[in-house]
This record gives sequence, structure tokens and C-alpha cells, in this order.
Amino acid sequence: MNFSGSILLVDDEAHIRKFISLLLRHLGVSRIFEAQNGSIALEVYKKEQPDLVMLDVNMPVMDGIETLRALKQINPDCVVVMLTSLANRQTIDEAVALGAANYIRKDAAPEEIGRALSSTIDDCFAPDEPEEGAPPA
Amino acid sequence: MDDPLTTPSIDLKGRRILAVDDDRINLRIIGGILRHEGYEIAEAASGEQALEVYATFQPNLVLLDVMMPGIDGFATCRTLKKNYGDKCAPVIFVTAKSEADDVVMGFDAGGVDYLTKPFRPKEVVARIRTHLSNQQLVEQQKDLVQQLSKANAAKDRFLGMCAHDLRNPLSSIRGLAELMDENAIGELTPEQREIIQTIHGASQSMLQLVNELLDVATIEAGHLKLEKVPTSIVEIVERSVHLSNIEAAKKNTKIEMVTGGLDPIVDVDRNKIRQVVDNLINNAVKYSPRGSIVTVLIHSSGTVAGFAVRDSGPGIPESERHKLFKDYGRLSTVPTGGEKSTGLGLAICRKIVEAHDGTIGVDSVAGRGAEFIVSLPLHK
Repeated sequence: MNFSGSILLVDDEAHIRKFISLLLRHLGVSRIFEAQNGSIALEVYKKEQPDLVMLDVNMPVMDGIETLRALKQINPDCVVVMLTSLANRQTIDEAVALGAANYIRKDAAPEEIGRALSSTIDDCFAPDEPEEGAPPA
Repeated sequence: MDDPLTTPSIDLKGRRILAVDDDRINLRIIGGILRHEGYEIAEAASGEQALEVYATFQPNLVLLDVMMPGIDGFATCRTLKKNYGDKCAPVIFVTAKSEADDVVMGFDAGGVDYLTKPFRPKEVVARIRTHLSNQQLVEQQKDLVQQLSKANAAKDRFLGMCAHDLRNPLSSIRGLAELMDENAIGELTPEQREIIQTIHGASQSMLQLVNELLDVATIEAGHLKLEKVPTSIVEIVERSVHLSNIEAAKKNTKIEMVTGGLDPIVDVDRNKIRQVVDNLINNAVKYSPRGSIVTVLIHSSGTVAGFAVRDSGPGIPESERHKLFKDYGRLSTVPTGGEKSTGLGLAICRKIVEAHDGTIGVDSVAGRGAEFIVSLPLHK
């Protein structure tokens, strides 16, 4: 995966963090931060300024949607990918409306998770080019 | 959880009977017989009074004289049925022996039986006991059905919760095993690789089972939401055939689609119908001998269209066909390549197809393969 930035991984379940972080390392991401709930995530985000946040939806203390809202207040441009277990349309729609870049099913196979993450990174971190067919300024 | 199911025994003592007759002597006779049996009795001397007493006494049974001044027995019965509907206590008419026509009219008015005057105590007791037991059995049955559906709903909720909470850890186990197999933490020894692949395979089949259980629980709880859009069956089948061929190639099996030039459009939830197509094709591959051909035929006629999946497996014995679409209905036939089966796939298929107002059936001659046929209403 063509990504040299850092990723903050937020999930209350340790095994999910282990799985996703191993996957990220396997994909070549070297700077990975972890947090087990929303409020810790906000602290880490402010301190480390990661390029991308992978955010679980269902968490105690401060859930994913609430955390997403707070992250967007700190930095409206921060790139957040939601981690879901079951595709709950309503929650996904809500997250997208709040500015989440994408969502990933964490019960998907590693290859599929990797693919979804790559496409989000391509979309969000591609070098700025004038859009094709855009009218000249 | 709910209390365990209880089936009370039938005890009729204390059941309430309303006796209605304008003849006080008759009331006294019948009251005497019934009190002796342990019933609780209320009396009314007219139809009007009967309606009043009924409201407060709430009897389990009504003995109603036909010939009375004011509103007669039939009219009283009709009013009771109108006022209380299905909850109305059974009504037994009391009539003189000579008035045989009354009996027919009595049944029309909603009576369940009749007694003739003069009373024969044994007959009175026997008939009343029969109707009270019937009524009590009906009540018990209603209670039981209610208890059962509550218990069933609780089971589905439990199943859904279990399956849901098992999914995440299982996907982590599977994912970690897969990553290790890809040398994500370094090169493995052959023995380590074998173990990791076993863990991966086991968690993979558990995950499939959990997903199917979750599907069943969701469907049973009535939470199956369909997002129907006009869809080409050929398109859906084509995609499934393409993807399944990759897996089937391992068994040297080939899947072919035959459209017969048809391209029917149906209103369906694509993901759900795709699940049905995938499942039927996977089953066909699973139960067909290595190196055989599975055919998917598109059909369309009248107001329905769909597809049929034909395999060349052992077929389904007539005696086992009833188990086919039921939950956990596994048959005596076994997969030919050591594949796993949960016994839920076809039950889920049936539920999905039926939610689309479609039908799923099987045509099979034991020893000569099976053909699963799905039909869905055509897009209007």
C-alpha cells in the first residue's frame, strides 16, 4: 500500500486492535497508534496528529459517532474510516453525513479490509490535481 | 428468560354458569344439579336480565331458555355474540322436546348445543362438562401458543446476541491466522504453517455458521428488510456463476448458465437474492461428483421468472425431501469434497425467497441429481 503516514486505531476490543494493527504493519504502515475508547482517542489524536483514524462504532465511554463529531471539531479535515461489525445502514449514513471518509466491515477478510483502506487512502491523499474537464479558473 | 411452559390439568370446579329461564321451578332444578357438581351458578329470569348478569358475572357457559317473554333466547344469544364476539361464553339452548325446529335456529343464532326439558340430570351434567372442558382447552391452547411464541422470540434474541458477539472475536482469529500464513510476522516452519491453516479453516467455518445463525435469527425476528430494485436475473446469476467457478475449479467442476435467450426483470433485494443463488450453486457443487457440470437455467413464463440450479449429485430421496428447507435439516447425502454443511443454508434461502413472495422447490430423481427451482414475481 502506498502510504507513508500514521494511523490511529480506535477499538475497545484488544483482539481487533491486534488484528488490524498486524494487518496495517503487513501493508507497510509503520506508525500506528492505538486507543481503546473515544476519549483516549481524542487525547492521542491531539498529541500525535495522525494522518488517518480508524474508528470503531460501538464502544463504551464514548462511542464512534460521538468521537467522530469531536474529531471533526478538532480538525474538520481529519480523515476517519469507521470500523463496523454489522452493516448498520443508519449508523453508516450518520457517520458519512458527519464527514467519515469510508466504512470497513471488521469481519471482512484481511484482503478485503486492505483493499477498502487503500481505496480510501487513494481518494483522500492523492496529490491535488485539477479535475479533468474542470473549467479553467 | 420466561417461566417454563405449564399445562394446567383440567379442573372444572368453580366454573361459572349463567342459567336463564323465566320458569323459576326449572331454574331451581337446573341450579340444584349444577351446584352439586361444584359449579358456581347465577340465575336470570329474562333475556334482558341475562344480559345484565352476564356483564358482571362473566360466566364460562350460558344455559339459555328459548321461549321467554320479552327478548327470547335466540335474540339474547345474538346480542351476547355481538357484544362479546370471540370471547363470548358458549351458549347451550334449553328447549321443550316438541320444538325440534328450535334446535336448528339455535345453532344459527350461535348456540353450541341444546338440552331438552324435562331435564335428565346425567345428560345435563355430561353435556355441560364437555363444553366447559372444550372451552378450557381452547383457553389453555391460546395461553400455550402465547407462551411458546414469547419463548421463541426470546430464543431468537438470544441466538442473535450470541451470534453477534461471537463474530468479532472469530473474525480476529481468522484474520490473524491468515496474516500469519502470509508471513506477516515472519517465515513459518511447515508445521507452524499447517497449524495456522487449521486454525484459519476452523475459524472460517465457525464464522460461516455464526453468520447463518444470525441470518436465521434476523429473519425469524421479522427484521429482514428488503431493498427491492428492478433487477436482471441473468446479471445476478452471471456474477455468481463467475465467482463460484473459481472455487468449483478446485473440484474440476464447471458451472454453466443457460439463458435460452431470456432476460427477465424482477423486483428484488439484490444482495439477498445473490445469497440464494450463491447458496444453491455452492450446494450443487458440493454434492456433485468431481469433474461434473452444474447448470443454471433461466426461466420466465406468465407472471413469474427465476432460475433453476441442476446438479448431477446423488439426488434427494423422496423420504427426506420434507426436511430440505427446514432449519438444521441435514440429509443423508454428504458433500463429495469434504465440504462443511450447517443445515441452515436452504432454510435461509426459503425464507428469503418467501419474503419476496416467491417460491422455491426441488425436483429430483434419487440417483440422477437434483434441480432447485426459484420463482419470483416479474417486475410490473
